[in-house]
Amino acid sequence: MKQPQRTGVIRDYDMHSASVRVGYAVVILLCILMVILAVFPILWVILAGFKDLKELIASTSIFPQSYDLSRFATTWAQLGIAKNYLNSLISVVGSVICALVFNGLLGYGLGTLKPKGYGIVKRLVMLSLLMPTTISIVPLFMNIQKLGLSNSFVPLWLSYGANAMYVILFVQFFESLPASIIEASRIDGCNPLQIFFHIVLPLSKPICAVVAIFAVNAAWSDFLLPYLVLRGGELQTVMVRLFVFSTDQTVNADAMMRSVVFSMIPPIILFFIFQKQLTENTVSVGIKG
Amino acid sequence: MSGQNARTRSRARLAEDLKSWMIMLPGLILMTFFIWEPLLESVRMSLYKTRNIELVRFIGLDNFISVVGKDDFLQALANTFSYTFWSLIIGFALPVLLALLIGETVRGKSFFRTAAYLPNMLPGLAVIILWSSFFSGEKSGVLNILLGRLGIPQQSYLTRYEWVIPIIIIISTWKGAGATALIYMAGMAGVNPELYEAAAIDGATVWQRVFHILLPSIRKLAGTLLILQIISVFQIMYEPMVLTKGGPDNASLSLMQLMWQYAFGGSMNYGKASAVAVIVTLILLVMTAIYSYFNRKESDWD
Amino acid sequence: MNKLIRTLALTLALCCLTAASPLALAGEVIDADLTCSITLGNWPADTAPEAEKALFEGYKATMAKQYPNVTLIPDYYSYTLSNYVPMAKGGTAPSIFQPPFTDPQLLISQNLVGDVTDALEAFGVLDKFSPSYVEMLADENGRIYGLPRDGYVLGMHINIELFREAGLMTEDGLPKYPTTLQELAEYGQIIKEKTGKAGLVFPASETYGGWLFTNIAWNFGCVGESALEYQDEDGRWVCNFTSPECVAAMEYMRDLRWKYDILNADATTTDWASAHSLLGTGEAAMNFAADDSVDQPTAYKGLPVEDFALIPFPAGDAGRYALAGGTCYMFAPNITKDQGIALMAYLKILGKLPFLDDDIIAGMRSDYAAKRDRGASVIPAISAWNDDEYNAAKQAIIDEFSNVDMRLYNDFFDSISEGTITLKSEEPVFAQQLYRELTAVIQRMITREGADVLKALKKAEESFQEYLDDEINDI
Repeated sequence: MKQPQRTGVIRDYDMHSASVRVGYAVVILLCILMVILAVFPILWVILAGFKDLKELIASTSIFPQSYDLSRFATTWAQLGIAKNYLNSLISVVGSVICALVFNGLLGYGLGTLKPKGYGIVKRLVMLSLLMPTTISIVPLFMNIQKLGLSNSFVPLWLSYGANAMYVILFVQFFESLPASIIEASRIDGCNPLQIFFHIVLPLSKPICAVVAIFAVNAAWSDFLLPYLVLRGGELQTVMVRLFVFSTDQTVNADAMMRSVVFSMIPPIILFFIFQKQLTENTVSVGIKG
Repeated sequence: MSGQNARTRSRARLAEDLKSWMIMLPGLILMTFFIWEPLLESVRMSLYKTRNIELVRFIGLDNFISVVGKDDFLQALANTFSYTFWSLIIGFALPVLLALLIGETVRGKSFFRTAAYLPNMLPGLAVIILWSSFFSGEKSGVLNILLGRLGIPQQSYLTRYEWVIPIIIIISTWKGAGATALIYMAGMAGVNPELYEAAAIDGATVWQRVFHILLPSIRKLAGTLLILQIISVFQIMYEPMVLTKGGPDNASLSLMQLMWQYAFGGSMNYGKASAVAVIVTLILLVMTAIYSYFNRKESDWD
Repeated sequence: MNKLIRTLALTLALCCLTAASPLALAGEVIDADLTCSITLGNWPADTAPEAEKALFEGYKATMAKQYPNVTLIPDYYSYTLSNYVPMAKGGTAPSIFQPPFTDPQLLISQNLVGDVTDALEAFGVLDKFSPSYVEMLADENGRIYGLPRDGYVLGMHINIELFREAGLMTEDGLPKYPTTLQELAEYGQIIKEKTGKAGLVFPASETYGGWLFTNIAWNFGCVGESALEYQDEDGRWVCNFTSPECVAAMEYMRDLRWKYDILNADATTTDWASAHSLLGTGEAAMNFAADDSVDQPTAYKGLPVEDFALIPFPAGDAGRYALAGGTCYMFAPNITKDQGIALMAYLKILGKLPFLDDDIIAGMRSDYAAKRDRGASVIPAISAWNDDEYNAAKQAIIDEFSNVDMRLYNDFFDSISEGTITLKSEEPVFAQQLYRELTAVIQRMITREGADVLKALKKAEESFQEYLDDEINDI
């Protein structure tokens, strides 16, 4: 079996030194510790999902008395969560597309094209990163109402097309692209849009992957605006549901734990899909492009 | 002749700029609708006496004076700086360290990377609910169970005013550190491994390579992420709201949470809420200005 | 004997009503012309017990028969002030929703709710409101904006299992419960010693802690001259947290934690629901709670009804008060006249108007049957209507479905009907903010040993006074 390439500071050559080998072992141990710390709480909440209310509140054991999956099935059925899963999926997919297209184009304009006056917009975008967005949710909600867009995924999708953080990530990436390539294609007669789709985008897979992961994560987890926009409707997402439960006093702590588990499963699955792409891209693209 | 050339060039340049603006237009419209217009509306509200979201009358800075004069504002301000302090202590270096550690691994790198990022995929609401049972003071609280095995008696965590802020920061660090590490790793991947190879051949030790090649390569990124971290911690609201509801005795009340209380906590005073938000923004602007001042100075030195 | 009288009253009431008006039978069309659609907040969520969901589906079916052209749109909306305001402003508030009695005046003054006076008139129930509710649900012109759903009186929930374990039982096999706040502390201590469980769960988070504390403070004498809130001669609202009575009450709270040590571990993050969980799962023996939430520890959290008792609020040295309040129905600000009629018709079907016909009796029966089926105690409700016949008839039906030993509830209800306990409604202005301020003081008391009571109360008083000045004194 072929040994994977070392890409870190420690080189194969260093491994001849005993102290470096010990250091490397420590690195591995720390990484394993990190894995335990990252995974244990998630495992725990799954275990907690097998407990009933009394056990959850009174038991001093990490492990449940029984592994009765029917408890999950009951909660699943009560929540009618399949429908909410589908709603969340629709919301996430649209949000990711908007996040990539709109922020990507804006980032391309600010990072590569830099038309006259772009500096003002760039500063405005930086500023919006600073401004707390929560206070503006009421005026924003009113605007959505005025346009008759409530009870629809459209405003949620589009809201991901206006994310200062993503724009800045794009800008930073595009600025790091060698200007020579773009200049060359400009001389070749490509218009800015062609350059974007033929030259810039193929080089941008790593940043697109990062933004996509952020957007998936954010769109799935978001509940404040979705709650206001989708409230009570057929379109409720999983997190809106969980939020409603967390304020609804008839949902017991044990059912809450199982809802938490349900809310975690899809993002974890999605992450494993994205993760693979991300790893490949970062390794293959690198600095040489 | 040359003048005409210049004019043609400038006309071409103008057309190109126009095209560029057209490309940016959809994004700009969305930014306006979702961020800028509502924010301006909020700033305007901070200068008005409000009744719900209607502006009753212009009152200048009265909202600001009233808000700042209250004890809970001073407490929230101090708490928010405390959040920032703890987040820098607990949360800033950790992602760099994680990125460094994972970057050194050979086998299982992708596994470690996945594990590090995993908590960040979990919805914030779910994370808070999950950790609230870790820090529960009941004997069934997970930390109490674990420490009980070590013979440490049952503790109450969230009722300790000196512990709540570090606890909330630990939770948000648990969620976010891996993701930040991933960004650092992307930055670190920009260093050609041959550079380390060359340095190694020149006799540089592993530590020297870390400090002279790796860390400088992410310095700009670290600066950016630092300011982003401060900004996001300064806006902390949801975590204390769910976990401690700002308690005990306002010990974990953050500025944004105070804003939320003004807006939705019963009095529906959007004017005062907006005033708090504007104050938070001003503080952030000052901090950013200081940062960029030092950043520029440092760049001059290079 | 008692039961006989009640049954007679029911029969009489039925006869009177039948004689007086031609009653609609289930399935009979009442008004086919009424055409509108109404959205109904607080529709049982998917997680609600099946029986409850079936009940509401039944209401919907009846409505569809009686008013075939009224469209009902179920909505799971659950009211909070913060989520309601943007909806009312944006025109998406559900046609009917259920705020607590602390909020109607605020909503009315801000024009965020709809007027149903004409609809009530049309149903002939305008004059049956008890006057205190008219005061709560009307504007200064006497226009009505809401209907009482039900009232509650604060008392105490008891986990009998823990009382038994601690040996606190009478010879009759009933729990020997605390009748005074002093006894509460002592019994709590015994329970904590004998069982290791919390004597008292005290939800000292957000506004709950302050809410419960006001009742304790009244019993320490914070009424009349020493009231927490009052209006001075100039009409200015003043708060007073630093009276000797209030200080004594707050010292009592501090002692519950540091002297008697009977509180649950995480009191400062415990909310209403988790307080019920702790009592229901046997981690706490006593909980300050009202008669309208008896199904929380039992049906929802698993405590068998035979291990549950409801007792009067313990008396203090200076008084024996119990906080009384409730929930009401209110309506979206933009409802039309037709929608108003349709909403009243819906409430009539729910049995929330003081009418008795076959449908309503059937509705009450199915309501109580559903309660019994899901393991909730079937006990009398405190009526919000001034209508003796209606109330007596209702009691007769409750007796029929009773699933509990009423001895575990009698002291509570008798204390109200016999007047040994004085009912008192919440502090008059900005109660939620008052509770928030007091909760902060309570949190300070139970998290810092030896905290200065007077100083903390003084600070809260200044802060709340400033709030009062801002919000109502300065207009």
